[in-house]
Order: sequence, then structure tokens, then C-alpha cells
Amino acid sequence: MSRFFRGGSDSETDDDEIISSNEEEMSDDDHISDESTDDETTPKPTTGAAAKSRFLKDAVSDSEESDIDEKVEVKSAKDKKLDALELSVKTIENAKKINDWVAIQNEFEKLNKIVSKSFGTIGIPRIYIKTIASLEDFLNEALQKEKEAKKKMNSTQAKALNSMKNKTKKIVRQFEDEIEKWRQNPVDTEEEIEDDGIEKPLPIKKDKLSYPAEDLDDEGFEQVGKGNKLIEYTSDNLFKKLREILEARGKKNTDRLEQIKILQKLLGVAATSYQQIRVLLALIPAQFDYNPSMSNYMNVDMWKSTQKEINQLLTIMDTNPNFIIHDHVEEEEEEDKEPVIEPGQTFGIRGSIVSFIDRLDDEFTKSLQNIDPHTTDYVDRLKDETELYATIVRGQIYFEKNDLNESTSRVVMRRLEHLYYKPDQVIQTVENTVAQSFPSGLTSSITPPTITQDSSDLIHALCVYLYKKGESLLRTRAMLCHIYHHALHNRFYIARDMLLMSHLQDNIQLSDVGTQILHNRTMVQVGLCAFREGMIKEAQSCLQEICGTGRVKELLAQGLQLQKYSQLPPEQEKLDRQRQLPFHMHINLELLECAYLTCSMLLEIPAMAAAGSNPEARKKVISKPFRRMLDYNERQVFSGPPENTRDHIMGAAKALAAGEWQKCQELIGAIKIWNLMPETQKIKEMLNRKIQEEGLRTYLFTYSSFYTTLGLEQLSTMFSLPLNTVTSIVSKMIWSEELAASLDQINNVVVLHRVEHTKVQQLALMFAEKAAAFVEANERTMEQKQAVGQNQRDQQRQKGICAFT
Amino acid sequence: MAANYDLTPKLIPYLDRHLVFPLLEFLSMHKIYPEIDLLKAKYELLAKTNMVDFISMLYKTIHDTDEVPEEFSTKRDEVLQTLENLQAEAQKVLDIIENPEVIAALRQDKLQNLNFLKEKYGLTDKMVNTLYQFGQFQYNCGNYGGASDMLYHFRVLSTDHELNVSALWGKLASDILDSNWDAALEEVQKLKETIDQKNFTSPLHQLQQRTWFIHWSIFVFFNHPKGRDSIIDVFFTAQYINTIQTACPWILRYLTTAVVTNKRRKSILKDLVKIIQQESYEYRDPITEFIESLYVKFDFEGAQHKLKECEKVLSNDFFLVATLPEFVENARYLISETYCRIHLKIDISGLSQTLNLDQEAGEKWIVNLIRDTRVDAKIDFKENTVIMNQNHTSIYQQVIERTKGLSFRSQVLASTIEKREAHQSASAAEAAES
Repeated sequence: MSRFFRGGSDSETDDDEIISSNEEEMSDDDHISDESTDDETTPKPTTGAAAKSRFLKDAVSDSEESDIDEKVEVKSAKDKKLDALELSVKTIENAKKINDWVAIQNEFEKLNKIVSKSFGTIGIPRIYIKTIASLEDFLNEALQKEKEAKKKMNSTQAKALNSMKNKTKKIVRQFEDEIEKWRQNPVDTEEEIEDDGIEKPLPIKKDKLSYPAEDLDDEGFEQVGKGNKLIEYTSDNLFKKLREILEARGKKNTDRLEQIKILQKLLGVAATSYQQIRVLLALIPAQFDYNPSMSNYMNVDMWKSTQKEINQLLTIMDTNPNFIIHDHVEEEEEEDKEPVIEPGQTFGIRGSIVSFIDRLDDEFTKSLQNIDPHTTDYVDRLKDETELYATIVRGQIYFEKNDLNESTSRVVMRRLEHLYYKPDQVIQTVENTVAQSFPSGLTSSITPPTITQDSSDLIHALCVYLYKKGESLLRTRAMLCHIYHHALHNRFYIARDMLLMSHLQDNIQLSDVGTQILHNRTMVQVGLCAFREGMIKEAQSCLQEICGTGRVKELLAQGLQLQKYSQLPPEQEKLDRQRQLPFHMHINLELLECAYLTCSMLLEIPAMAAAGSNPEARKKVISKPFRRMLDYNERQVFSGPPENTRDHIMGAAKALAAGEWQKCQELIGAIKIWNLMPETQKIKEMLNRKIQEEGLRTYLFTYSSFYTTLGLEQLSTMFSLPLNTVTSIVSKMIWSEELAASLDQINNVVVLHRVEHTKVQQLALMFAEKAAAFVEANERTMEQKQAVGQNQRDQQRQKGICAFT
Repeated sequence: MAANYDLTPKLIPYLDRHLVFPLLEFLSMHKIYPEIDLLKAKYELLAKTNMVDFISMLYKTIHDTDEVPEEFSTKRDEVLQTLENLQAEAQKVLDIIENPEVIAALRQDKLQNLNFLKEKYGLTDKMVNTLYQFGQFQYNCGNYGGASDMLYHFRVLSTDHELNVSALWGKLASDILDSNWDAALEEVQKLKETIDQKNFTSPLHQLQQRTWFIHWSIFVFFNHPKGRDSIIDVFFTAQYINTIQTACPWILRYLTTAVVTNKRRKSILKDLVKIIQQESYEYRDPITEFIESLYVKFDFEGAQHKLKECEKVLSNDFFLVATLPEFVENARYLISETYCRIHLKIDISGLSQTLNLDQEAGEKWIVNLIRDTRVDAKIDFKENTVIMNQNHTSIYQQVIERTKGLSFRSQVLASTIEKREAHQSASAAEAAES
């Protein structure tokens, strides 16, 4: 065929081109709908075609992959399509021979697409009809065989065969007439085919109308059914249609978009609220189902419409208290009738609003995970949160009213998860907007409007509800959120007490990953809170757990850590990706590291100085990462001026160790990331003060062996600390026997008694210690032996007794 | 200020009505609150008890009349009536128990005793429970001695666990109010065992019981001569210190006082400081602050100020008023001890000031201190200073100290091995024989 065209189509090219350029627009239109409809069935070819059409838009139009190999030759669009067609047909023939149904299915789909796209250009080619007819025959044959010989085909093949069966049936029905015609006269020449294509434009147009709805544009919505009849949607046949749709749901070749459209239409005609509820209960899940893949997120527009529909559903439910939706209702046989409700009675409808809200929230999170956080898209998307929050609150009120306890706790948890990480003002604003958007009289008993005025009260009320009613997982999560919130608002003691009293840390390892992430976040937040409050030691110990591992990102679910050696299995990676927190919930990692290292510095440097040259004491490490960094920093031959946060802290640590507290303060103060903390100035002052104190301690540890006396006054001026603070610090060191010294009240000096041991003395001490350890080890071994010996002896004795008897 | 640091309002929720009464009495004596408020409080407190005569008296004082409402007299009659009934019934049981034959026949085993009594004398469970009711009623009437007796008898007979525990509480309260401290101390120990051993359905319930126990026991601990040893023993066990930290941090005042006034408990001081530091955000009063400034901040001047405040607070505390002189004495001792340990040379006048004493008394105090505790120090009279002799152990001593026990321990080890070998060979021979 192609040869024929190539030779003879010269005269027609002009015409064709005109047609094809006209067609271009149409096919473009088709393209859009095609893409969306075909997404789920054959993702691969579509993306290929889409990609290509983007690049080769006008030049080659909708050519398929198959003609990549062909020489670059100027051909009309029609020619190309016919070529592609022929190629597909050939492939099908080949595949038939080897019974490869997967290949057949693929090719067949390709074929269908080419035909559907190029109605105007080539009409319905004879060859296509022929293929269909022969395929049908072959299929029937194959099915017959399959029945006879069981388990001959593998599962993918069988699946392909099945779907082919369905598809062919559909197509055959479409082209019934043509196939009939072809069957009557199968030996048509190819010329006639061409004639068919060009000379009969009218029937083609008719065909186009009868072509399934996929390609029909929305306007008019005159649905054409099997027998070319118009289908009308009225409230009378609503239930019937609804049932049809529900039955088709989840089947492989149901067109989801189509269903959604029908359902929306149905919603438009629904006359009673019962009908509306039923349609909505079908429509909302249909929209959620639209996107079958777990990793993709729901289209934003569709999300919004779904959200509106859930709101609508809640409004209907509020105005019609006779209906209750919950999932314990038995499936009724006669659902198609309008229920007769006696006043005062309630009528249960099967469904679950809470799962809609859950899903809506999940989809929102998913979309945030997938949108680049540095674009305006992200911000725009984030604005929808308020509405989502309103829906959640709305749901909560509804569940409360109807005493659906389980749903209430789930939805309260959702609400809490939207609130806990936010500062007061934000919560306030959101609450106010939400409260205004509700009709008056809609109030919740868990969170009455008086409570929502204060964010802490609100969180408290929500958490208390969950403590009382929720199951254990929800309780744990609520507790963690509560602690997080306290920590965020600088209530360290309350947060710490709650953390300790709940004994969460004992068994957090056993809970699911999501909860563990929340726990990590909480720990970090508590640590930061302690830092802001100036409790360096507490802050360090809280942060140690997370920051000391070097896997901060992973532990907080704020990005995947690239691991050099271990390759994660793809499923694992996919799961990890799904757990990532959206950007707006992140805790700033640089700030976290900065706080952690600063704490470590303030604790580690004096400890190192106190250890002095004593090798045993030097081994006690407070913060490993800090030590490592410091070692690395010290090993460098030349260190330039500090550039990043770490450099600053390392420089500061060195200065502190050398007693240059002013330089240390300067370097710490120069870190820019502090600006992210609230009340930066206060924190810097706190740090300065701590640096002075720790500087004094370090100084005393390092240089005490070189002095016999040190003036308190002098120390006070040296570190610009008030005299009584110096006295207090020195006293404390003396009392805890960190410093061998005493105070002389008359002369106001510190008298140092510390004597550096000579090498021999040091060795003697060490030797004595080792000897003691040796004896102890001996004793322990003896004890063990004795215990074992006792057992053996007992056994022996028993044996002896046995022997006697 | 006195009202600021008054703990009575915090204590009351954890005490029995009758136990609160002495506290209120004490408050009215010290005139911390307006008299009329206290009277009203007393009236409210006792209105539900059976001490009708006393209530009507209170009523008269409050309302300043001689008229007493009708209900009082009717209630009085009722009470008397019930009392008589209960007494008659209880007497039956008592007659049985007090029979010398019965006493001789009674054994250790409760169940056995009960069965014996049931069979021989027709004693029923209901009769035993009457004892309990009668005891409770007497307690309500303010007859604590009688109540204590009844509950004692009840406990001997009854096998009902729940009621037994209640009876324990009741007897403790009766003994406390009866100032029978020896018996009360015994009850405290028993009660503690019961609470610790009992399996509570919820930890919250146990916590509550412990909190109650802590509050009730301070009555005993601060009145019994040995009480202050026991309070430290009891409250410093892990469960009770946790209870104090979670439910009632104000008890720290009593604990601190007990530790300070107890000369032998030096080691416990460290733990106490830690706890006070931990709880300082939740509870602080001059007494804990005194410890804090002395052992956390090493601010001797601050400690001295706090000591002055402590005196005021202690004199207004029902439980601690008796410990005041002891507390001050010991607090001074603590200050000077710490001071001496840190300092090499001390100005006597400075120290006396810190101790809140004048020059002469200060000197005497220091001399006593040196003598009593054998602090290695000398007074330089000319310069008016105390010079502490530092005795840091020399390196040789350290080495000797560390190696002293080694040879002995090794010998022991060697002898054990020898013994073992001898034993083994003996048993081997035995085995060969058989």
C-alpha cells in the first residue's frame, strides 16, 4: 500500500496538506482528551506520543514510534498514518502467529488510536476493518482453545487476552456495518479501499458522531448509547443510572472521567436530598479514584471540586437530620427507591464521610509533597489549607452531633495535625476565618468558640478529647503533638514533664514509622525549646539523639538521604518518599545543627580543658560529631576565615579553648541563622553570657596549674562578669572537686593547690589502678567458676545418688 | 507574707475533715487569716460530721446568737439514737471477743479464727461489719480513742480486704487525732506496705493513695521522736519521691526541713539538692530556696537572707513550728561547713554576719564548730581570721590507699581456690569409690 501511495500521491499532496492542516486543529483538540483518557490504560505509548508531539508539533504531526526508523522523507500526514497503520497490522499478524497476546493488545491499541485520530484524513481504512474482523475470529478461536487447554497461558498473556476480548467486542460493535460489508466481500482490491476513504466523507462524519463518548467534547452532553439513542438523565431514572455506574466502578475498561461527568450531570438533576446524597456518595469516591497511581497527586481543580462536594454533602446532612451516613448500615436491596421516612426516625445510608475527609487531606499533603516548594504554586496550594481545615472542622461538628465517636477522634486528630506545628497567630487567624465561614449555630462541644480564641486551650481541648476517647495510636500521636506545641511556645518544663510521664520514649521503637517521625520532631522541638530558654545541657541531651546520628534529614522526614553504599530497594524508597513532610512543616535543619553544635561547644570545651592531659578523662566524649569536626578542623594546615555555620562554631570553639571569649562571642554572634529564632537578641545575650561563664571555667581548668593564686577581681574584669558570679562559679567548682583550690576571703583571691603530677607519679597511680582492676577481674572469674562448679557438683551428686540406687 | 507561704489550702484536699481541724485551729492561733473566715471554714468543715454540740457552738459564735436552728437538735437526737443502736450491736461482738476462753483459742490464722467464732459463738460477717460501722461513727463523733479500738478489733476479725484498708486509714486518723504517736507510726508502716503491695487497677489510683498517705504521714513524722528518720527513709524511696514530684511538690518543704534537721543524713543532701533544682519551676519557698542558694549558687549572703525568711515561714507552719530552733541551728551548721570547705582564710566577722550572729557569738560558734566536727582549722586572733588547713592527700597516700586492700583480697582468692581444689579432689575420690 505504501508503495502505491508513494508513487501515485504526488498530485494529491496539495489537497492532502490542506486537509491535514485543517485536521491539525481538530486532532490537537482530540489530543487533549485522548491524553487524559488514555493515561490510565496505556501510560507508555501516550507519554511517548505526547513527548514527540511537543517537539515535532507541526512538522510531523501525530506520527507514531514506528516510523522513527524510516528515512526522512516528505510525506503527507495521511500517508504516514496509513504507513503506521499497515505496520501495526503487520505486527498484529506476526504476533498472532506466535500467540503473543500482549503484543497484539499493544498494537491493537495503537491501531485504534491512529484510526480514531485520523478520521478525517483517511476515514476508516479497509485494512483496519479487515484486521478487526480477522482478530475477532482469531480471538474466538483462541478463547476456544484456552477453554480446552487450561493453564496453558501465563497470567500476563491471559490478562491481555481478556482485555482484548472486551476491546474487540466494543470495536466490533462500532463498526458492525463495515465488518458485515467486508465479510460479504473480503477480496476487495486496495484501490477500492482508497475510494472508500476519500469518496465517502459523509458516512465518516456520521461515524464520528457515533464514536464513543471518549472523544466527544463536553458541550451538549448528548450522550449516545448503544443503539445510537440519546440518553437522558432525569431524576426518575437516576437510581438506575447510578447503579450502572457503581457496578462499572473498578472494572478495567471503565472510563473514569466519563463516569465523573455522568455523576456530575446526575447531581444536577437530583431532585430530592436523598438523591443528592446518594449521587454525592458515588461522585466523591469516583473523583478520588480517578488517579490510580499512588505516587501522583490529584489534580488541583478536581481536588477543589471534591472539597466543595464534601462540603455540600455536609450541608445536606446538616439540613436533613433524618439521614445518617455511617458504615454499619446493611446493604439494602431496594436502594433504588426513595425511602419513606417517618418523622422522628432516622434513615441510615451506607458510606463514610470520615474516609472522604481523610482522603482529601492525604491528597492535599501529597500535592504539597510533589509541588516544588520554592514556586508560587506551592504558596497558592497552601492557601487551600484554610478551606480544607474548615471542612475538617465541619466534619468534626457533624460527627459530634451524631455521636460517631470513632470518626470524631479520627477527624479531631486530623485537625490537630493541621494545628500543632503552627505559631499562635496563625492558628488564631485560621480559626477566625473558619468560624466566620460557618453558618451560625454550628458549634462544636469539644471546641466551643470560647476555647478557640486561645490556641493553647484549643490544642489542649483537642488532645484531651483524644486522650479520653481515642485509641492508643491516636493517643500517642495526640500526646506528641501536644508536647510539640508546648515546646514551640517555650514551655519547656511542661513539655518535658509530659514527655517523661507518658513514658513514650520506652516503646516508641515499636510504633509505626510515621509516629516515630513525629516523635523525632517532638524531641528536636523540645531540644530547641531548651536552647531558647538557655538550658544548654538539657538542649544538648535532647538534640543528641537525633543530631548525633548524622541522619537528621531521614529521621525528620525532611528529604531523602543519599546513601553511598547501601542501595535501598525501590519500594522502600517510594515509601520513604511518601512519608516526606511538606516543606512548610519542616524544621530548619541548619538552625538545628547550629543549636546543637553550639550546645556541644559550651559543654565539650570546658570538659576537654578539665580532662587536660589525663588520657582516661579525654576519652569521655559528650558529642561525637562535634569532636570529629573539631579534630578535622584542627588537622587542617591552613584554615581560612569562616564561611558557613560550622566554620563559625569551630572557630568559636577554638577561641573558647584558648580563653579568648570575646572572639568566641563575635564568631557565634556572626552566625546569620540565629535570625530565624524568635527574639534573636535575647538568645544572643544568653549565649554571650554562657560563653563568658564557660570561658572562665575553661580558663581555670587550663591555666590553674601555672598559678598559685588568682585574684577574683582580676578574673571578674577578665571575663567581665560580676564579682559574685565569679565567686559562685569558683565555689561551685571547688565544691564539686573539679578544681583543687580554695578561696581566701581576706585577700579575695583563689588559692590553687593543684599539683601537676610527675610522670612517675602518674604512672604509679595508673599502675595501682590497673592492679586493682586486675584483682577485681580475678574475683569475678572466681565467682563465676564457683557458681558453675556448684552446679556441676550438684549434678555430680545427683548422678552419684542415681548410681547408688 | 505568712499567708503567701501557707500551705494549708494545698494540704486540705488531701486530708480528712477531722485532720484538717487541728490545722485550722493552728491558723486561728497565729492569726494569719481573718478570724471570722476561719470560723466559717471550721463550720463548713464539721457541718457534715456528727459533732453536733461543737457545731452548734460554732454556729452561735459565727452568727452571734443564742438561737440554734431546729435541725441541730433533731440531728443530735438522731446521732444519739444511732450511737446507742450501734453500741448495743457492737457490744455483742465485743462480749464474744473479750471472753478469756476465746482469747486463748485464737490463733494466727484469721480465716481459721473467724470460722471458729462462727461455729462456736454464732458470729456473723454482718456483726463483724458492725464493728467497722461503729468505729466509723465514733470517729465521726470525735471519739477517736473508741474508734481506734473498734477498728483494731475489726481488723483482727474481718477478712474483707477493701474494708480492712479503709479501717487502716481510719485507725491511722484516729491515732493521729488521739496523739497516740507510737501506734500511729506503726499504722503508717502497715499502710505503706498495703499501698505498695496492692495491685491497683490504674496507676492513677495508686498515685492518689500515695499522695494521701504522704499527707497523712507528715502528722506522724513530725510528732514522733523517730519520725524524722522515717520520713527520710520513706519519702526518698523512688515511688514516693516520684509521687511528690508529680502530685504534691509542696511536700518538699517538709522533706527539706527533715533533711536539714537531721544530722546524720549528709549523703541524702545531694539527692535533695537535685530534686529541689528539678522542681524549682513548680514549687519554691524560702526553705527550698535556702538550700538552692547554698548548694547550687553558693551564694552565702542569699542563703542568710533566706534563712531569716525560713524562720518566719517555719513559725507559721503547723507541722514545722516545733523544729524551728533545730532548723536554724542546723542551717547555720550547713552554711559554715560549706563555707569552710571552700575557703582558706575566713574573716570571723564576715562569717558571723553570714550566720546571723554577732561577733562574740560568732567566735564561740566557730570554736564549737571546730571542736565538734574536728575541722582542721585555727583561729588567728590577731587578724581575726580562721585559717583552714588544707589536707589534700599526697600522691603517695593515694597510691597506698588504692593498693591497700589488694594483697588481702588476693589472699582470700588464693585460699578459696585451695579450698576448692581440696574439695574437688575429695569429691573425685568419693566418685571413684562409688
